[in-house]
Amino acid sequence: MVLKIQNICKNFGGISALTDVSFSVNEGEIFGLIGPNGAGKTTMFNVITNLFTPTSGEITFLGEKITGIKPFKITDKGICRTFQNIRLFTQMTSVENVLVGGHSRSKSGVLSGVFHTKSQRLEEERLHAKAITLLELVGLYNQRDIVSENLSYGQQRRLEIARALASDPKLLLLDEPAAGMNETETDDLFYLIKKVQKLGITILLIEHDMPLVMKLCDRITVLNFGKKLAEGTPEEIQNNPAVIEAYLGSEEDDEIA
Amino acid sequence: MLLEQLINGITLGSIYAIVALGFTLVFGVLGIINMAHGEIFMFGAFIGVIVTTTLGWPLWVAFLAAIAVTIILGYMLERFALRPLRGKQGVSHLAPLISTIGVSILLENLSHHLFGAGNHPFSTTFAEIHYKIGSITIYLVQIFIFVISVILMMSLSYWLSKTKAGKALRATAENLETASILGVDTKKIITLTVIIASAMGGIAGILVGMAFNSVNPQMGLSMGLKGLAIIILGGMGNVKGAMVGGLILGLSETFIVAYGDSGYRDAIAFIAIIFILLLRPQGLFGQKTSQVGR
Amino acid sequence: MLGEFINPYYLQVGSFIMINIILGLSIYITLSSGQLSLGNAGFMGIGAYTSALLTINYDLPIVIGIIVGAVVAGIFGILIGIPSLRLQGVYLAIATLGFGEVIRVFFINWESVTRGAVGISGIPHIGRELFAFFREMGFDPSAIGLKNNQFVYLLVLIILLMINILLVWFFIRQNKSRVGRAFAAIKMDEKAAEAMGINITYYKVLSFTQGAILSGFAGALFAHVMAYISPADFSYHRAVEILIFAVFGGSEVIWGAVFGATFMTLMPEVLRFISEYRYVIYGLVLVVMMAFRPQGIIDVSGLEWLKHKMPRGRVAHGSKNSKHL
Repeated sequence: MVLKIQNICKNFGGISALTDVSFSVNEGEIFGLIGPNGAGKTTMFNVITNLFTPTSGEITFLGEKITGIKPFKITDKGICRTFQNIRLFTQMTSVENVLVGGHSRSKSGVLSGVFHTKSQRLEEERLHAKAITLLELVGLYNQRDIVSENLSYGQQRRLEIARALASDPKLLLLDEPAAGMNETETDDLFYLIKKVQKLGITILLIEHDMPLVMKLCDRITVLNFGKKLAEGTPEEIQNNPAVIEAYLGSEEDDEIA
Repeated sequence: MLLEQLINGITLGSIYAIVALGFTLVFGVLGIINMAHGEIFMFGAFIGVIVTTTLGWPLWVAFLAAIAVTIILGYMLERFALRPLRGKQGVSHLAPLISTIGVSILLENLSHHLFGAGNHPFSTTFAEIHYKIGSITIYLVQIFIFVISVILMMSLSYWLSKTKAGKALRATAENLETASILGVDTKKIITLTVIIASAMGGIAGILVGMAFNSVNPQMGLSMGLKGLAIIILGGMGNVKGAMVGGLILGLSETFIVAYGDSGYRDAIAFIAIIFILLLRPQGLFGQKTSQVGR
Repeated sequence: MLGEFINPYYLQVGSFIMINIILGLSIYITLSSGQLSLGNAGFMGIGAYTSALLTINYDLPIVIGIIVGAVVAGIFGILIGIPSLRLQGVYLAIATLGFGEVIRVFFINWESVTRGAVGISGIPHIGRELFAFFREMGFDPSAIGLKNNQFVYLLVLIILLMINILLVWFFIRQNKSRVGRAFAAIKMDEKAAEAMGINITYYKVLSFTQGAILSGFAGALFAHVMAYISPADFSYHRAVEILIFAVFGGSEVIWGAVFGATFMTLMPEVLRFISEYRYVIYGLVLVVMMAFRPQGIIDVSGLEWLKHKMPRGRVAHGSKNSKHL
């Protein structure tokens, strides 16, 4: 078991965004976190990466309690994420973005960086080589020297994945990776995520594109109004009356809104 | 002695409060710290000196002239230093701060050239009138200043909460885009805000001139920084906080001069800034918000 | 001979440019992690007073004085930097501005040590000390056709120039390293940087402290080049002047600060009539730059263009770190 979420609650000034949510993610699987808008999915990610401290509950990662430690240390431990509203370092090139992703797996400081010590040079070579490999993996090798704000939307999403992978995560959190992508891009994304899984990386994924989720995920947890509604394989979820109810209801709401 | 110091402190604090009201108004609506506010205040004071001392005209003319000049300065500040930055892509939140620092430096040195460096006396017969009650002396100016500052604060609160223009202004402060969608002429409201704030600075300028009988180009900077300290003390954009913050600073400065080391008087404001920002960034009276800083 | 070409006045202006470049670098380096510090005049004062007092009262060599001055400024940088971390944007700017003013008020009032508003005179002059040293070594400036004062000023300028080259080299290297990337990442998106495993607390304090050390260093040099300092040298106006270097020259790239400091020091010297209206012009520059070119005169694309023009020119640039000021 890679990640274990136990009874997580998160309140914002009296409004509860997450209520008593528990689930666990097994090693090597692709785990989907779905639910209507405002169900608390991104809040869950923010709690896992400790951008938010949970009001109560506990999260263990590889058997170690990670609630309450600093966000950057979460990355050290092997969890890295992408963002729903892409947060690349917009004025850096693709390569530079991925190099920053490798920050937690490198350690040269001011002096070694300035005086180019041998270990620093080796480290930079290693980081660069790795960045190139990752850019090839996500299909951005030819765009490596382009400033990231000039990349297309789909490319930016893939670059975010490469940047996260540069931190050698054991668990990768993807927040709506297919948002805004067309069909071909979504197909490419499907294969990319499968490839990442083959690297031995466990994936926890938030996604609204249901066909993609059903095709991709081994197991799924459904959140609704901050509570866990259901959990199971894609087939079980698709046939769960409560889930159908929540989704149909919410889609109608969406129509009205 | 104690009572006299108390009165002095309240007088000083009232002036600080008026200066701070101008700061807080602009911050409340635009989210901008107007570093040029102190210099606009200083220009108001100089207009007072010119009208009363140089030209020998009555005091009320000085008030009108100072308000007129500071309104013009406020308009120019908004037109040339703030408006060009609004709604522009890629401009950081630091840009208006830097731009108004530019205006402050410009005005300070312009006044060196226009009015001359050094202290200028501000002599009106009005400033001499005083009453003796037992062993303590109260100047009429002191009462006058206190009354004016209370009136300004109350009318500002009333204007903000009760009038249509005030409500439009608060809507603009709440959310610029929404207000403009709802049909508020935000450009006009913003200009109005800066103008009112500047005029209050001008009024404060004359009051300071009368109270201390001395006006110089550097007073804008020190007053500006103190106004800043006060709105940080009272909570950014908080009208009542500005008033209370002003009084606190005025009293503590007066008492440190009377009973402590007068040299450190000017440090109080800045030490207060640093401590408040670090310990209670929302100000003494502000609501705690989830995110500090913009 | 050489002596005919060297005007001590020009040499001195050159020295001021060098010191101002260090100050420009000091604000550039804190800005490179997205922090605007207006306290650099205060740190400069700390460096200047520390070094001046140590060399006068304890007869320490100037080199030691300058190093201790920079270190003490750096310690203050850490002390101010850590609590200031919770402040962002304008709040940090104001808190640091407040810090600078507090420091200045202390210099004025701590008369037993700092001699108050009058300031400290008779600070050992770098050039003259070195001159004495060369004299002892049996070197006579006239051997290379220089008058004594020409030699002194030339010596100072050369030393400052070497220091500057070293510093620019240092920070260009740093910009391209892991530390520089972390600064740039924090500047562009603090939350994303944290999510990528960057310890923002550490790096923000690091860049703030580097800025403080540089300011203190520049201040100490200033003291030993001017031989006289007073609290007025480290006032709000100095803070604004330092800000101008970065705003005018450009805060995206290290060359921006270098250019800004050079240009802004030269301008009033070349155009004497401007000198009187110097601050009026400073004010206009800030307003106009913010409205029309917030990234400053020299920016990333400008440097790229220059590189294309001179394919073999070695124009180094910082990380493409260009969220506008």
